[in-house]
Amino acid sequence: MKLNRLAISEEGFIFDPETGNSYTVNETGLLILKKLREGLGPEEIAEAMSEEYEVSPEEALRDVQDFLETIARFGLWEEKAWLK
Amino acid sequence: MRKPYQKPTILKLQVGFMRDKKSGLSRMVRREIDGVPVRELAERFGSPLFVFSERRLREQFRYLKRLFEGHYPRVEFSWSYKTNYLDAICRIFHQEGATAEVVSDFEYEKARRLGIPGDEIVFNGPYKPKETLRRAVLEGARINVDSMDEILDLEEIARETGEKVRIGLRVNMDTGIYPRWDRFGFNLESGEVLNVARRIAAGGRLEVVGLHCHQGTFILEPEAYGRAAEKLVQLARKLEEEFGWTIEYLDLGGGFPSRNRLKGLYLPPEVAVPPLSEYAERIGRALLSGLPAGDYPLLILETGRALVDEAGFLITTVRTVKRLPDGRRAYVLDAGVNLLFTAFWYHFRVEIEKEIPGPPEPCVLYGPLCMNIDVVEETAYLPPLSRGTRLILSPVGAYNVTQWMQFITYRPRVVLVTEAGKVEVIREAETLEDIVRRENLPEHLR
Amino acid sequence: MVKVAVSGINAVDNPGPGLGIIKGLREGKTPVSVVGLAYDAMEPGIYLTDLIERAYLLPYPSEGEAPFLNRLLYIKEREGLEVVIPALDAELPLFIDLEPRLSAYGLKTFLPTQKQFKLRAKDHLPIVAEAIGIKTPNTLAVTSYEEFTRALSQLKFPVMVKGLFYKALRAYTQAEAQQHFQAIVAEWGYPVIVQEVVEGEEMNVVGVGDGEGGHFGLLAIKKLWITSLGKIWTGVTVTHPGLLTAAENFVRHFRWRGAFELETIVSGDEIYLIEINPRFPAWIYFAVGVGINLPERLLKAALGEEPERDWDYPAGKLYIRFTDDRVTDLEVFQHMVTRGER
Repeated sequence: MKLNRLAISEEGFIFDPETGNSYTVNETGLLILKKLREGLGPEEIAEAMSEEYEVSPEEALRDVQDFLETIARFGLWEEKAWLK
Repeated sequence: MRKPYQKPTILKLQVGFMRDKKSGLSRMVRREIDGVPVRELAERFGSPLFVFSERRLREQFRYLKRLFEGHYPRVEFSWSYKTNYLDAICRIFHQEGATAEVVSDFEYEKARRLGIPGDEIVFNGPYKPKETLRRAVLEGARINVDSMDEILDLEEIARETGEKVRIGLRVNMDTGIYPRWDRFGFNLESGEVLNVARRIAAGGRLEVVGLHCHQGTFILEPEAYGRAAEKLVQLARKLEEEFGWTIEYLDLGGGFPSRNRLKGLYLPPEVAVPPLSEYAERIGRALLSGLPAGDYPLLILETGRALVDEAGFLITTVRTVKRLPDGRRAYVLDAGVNLLFTAFWYHFRVEIEKEIPGPPEPCVLYGPLCMNIDVVEETAYLPPLSRGTRLILSPVGAYNVTQWMQFITYRPRVVLVTEAGKVEVIREAETLEDIVRRENLPEHLR
Repeated sequence: MVKVAVSGINAVDNPGPGLGIIKGLREGKTPVSVVGLAYDAMEPGIYLTDLIERAYLLPYPSEGEAPFLNRLLYIKEREGLEVVIPALDAELPLFIDLEPRLSAYGLKTFLPTQKQFKLRAKDHLPIVAEAIGIKTPNTLAVTSYEEFTRALSQLKFPVMVKGLFYKALRAYTQAEAQQHFQAIVAEWGYPVIVQEVVEGEEMNVVGVGDGEGGHFGLLAIKKLWITSLGKIWTGVTVTHPGLLTAAENFVRHFRWRGAFELETIVSGDEIYLIEINPRFPAWIYFAVGVGINLPERLLKAALGEEPERDWDYPAGKLYIRFTDDRVTDLEVFQHMVTRGER
């Protein structure tokens, strides 16, 4: 999985050693990346987010999907990855 | 205890976009307008909603009046109707002592309807319909003549009434600013004004009692007003000597800027826009040094934007959140360029009704129209917003509620937060009935 | 130890003056600790830890006064900052406007006044040139495309097309000029300045005015080699009497306060004023190298001390700019983008 190659710091700094690109994520973005690496799917991540943060599971799921779309556009994620 | 939520974001780092992220945040929040919560305003009166502050209107008027009177003894403010001719707004300025400056039949009639006597109206504009012109003459309005054809019209009216008509001449001139508005009035440097004056004197039916000059809009050079005042004083003296007229007023028009951010100007308005005191000082100095002591014509100022712009806010709501192909977030608001005509020229201040956690990221604010030009802000830096978040755009008090258009939807309410803190509707939202009332379906189409 | 912040640490192909200023401060007698102020996490100065102890990102001046002031005060609190030496045109109006407030918070500067700053507007050049007894090339300021084409018909090619703050592009043809015009408008807005090119020697003077008509030293140079962006790569000191007199007239007539640079073209006996910069130029280290440490003198003036005023320098000293390389870890970059400071 592409995500595994990323160097992710606790401060939310991300470096992609293959492409040389860097990114920053905020706290919740960081949480999603970590959960993805653990192999969780969008619903599970949304649930985890709404347990930890003041957000409904529905809104969280929308935001997770939006986030996934964004990282897919950056080439850090493939839609199918978690389906396998 | 769950932690406060912020929407997840990821930003790709690119040179030129790795900027300071923390400092701008606190100023982006506006919870209330003159003590009334934004949320309450939107819930009671709907969104979008124009909100005006009576306190700001009156304070700004009094401030400008004091400022200019500190530099010249006889000043009259003539409220520029085209900037905002809602009854309530006009009435507030009239109560403060402003006369009315109108540029069309409609505006003339609106001022009269509000109870402003003819002799407290300044009548400008490149086209004054004959009927309105006649009424203005009979009611003693100050008419600033824009063209030779208008002089002919006025001479004809004078023939009818059998009395000399007192007029002002609109003059255009080089005051060192660009672009030069030279399509209005008569040119000074070419000698056109003097030729016209000779023609007027020869006609014997009109008498020139005033001079008028409007240089343009959002003029950022106070010295330009100083130069205009100086040239008008010299012209006045010449006309008085040569034709025996008495110039009773010098009207320097409007064009004074507000603290809005003009597109194409790099610096923020706090720095780019000179304080209005500099304008007052230049004008006062030019007039006092050019005029003989004790003989002070009335100085008329037609400030519009500088009085009203910063008293107006628009509350609008994020209705849809999108992602553009380039990865930027885009928000569709319920107010677009149909309501915010001035968005074409200015970058508004964009504030959020509450603190929203998350780093500001570049985003686009679109209006609700089905047209590509409907962009309220091409690049705003906002934290990720959810649907339903309310934004407050300002300053929007000038020109928007006169130049807005009824296109594919209704125009919203306009409210005034009074000095007592009450909220009054000063223009109701449009309904289908308002719009179809003036239509007629011919018999064969029914 | 004086804590001093310096901006313009973008030592790139169009370098800011920051590093030159900092080298001058470090070579001075007053011990300093330097804070670098940057607008982008990639500005090279951030990574030069031997010259710059600490670095911070600032919000763009265009974002408004309040965030800018807040950020400066935050840095002052964190660092115990005493003096700021701003070095970029686009931020100067803000610093000048904020000066009374900064000084109320104990943050010292030594800047031109608002009125003086306005002189540098390229459309005011003819007035300045006349006052100090030199000339200007034919110059027109335009605020629309129509005016621009009209201006072109009045001027002789080649012309320089310039933004109010940055960028000057040379055009030999109508088409080239139009292309430059679009580029400058897109980046810097109006007015755009169009100026006839005068052929001659490119000579510049740098100095620091004391605000009372005197100065803390002048240095005149000639550019021997410039890059494709028009930036000096090699230069030599000159003692052109007419030019130095013009610079002294400038300081005396306008009672200039703070750093300045006059850019001129010298053609025979005629001197043409091309630009006034209300700050140090990027080659300011040249002055330091010939023994007139203007950055240090400006620092002293800001601190309320009396700086030296001697400015004897030999003609024929050479200035050579060169490129350098540095290798470092991503860590500093990471801190800049996540914390905005290092």
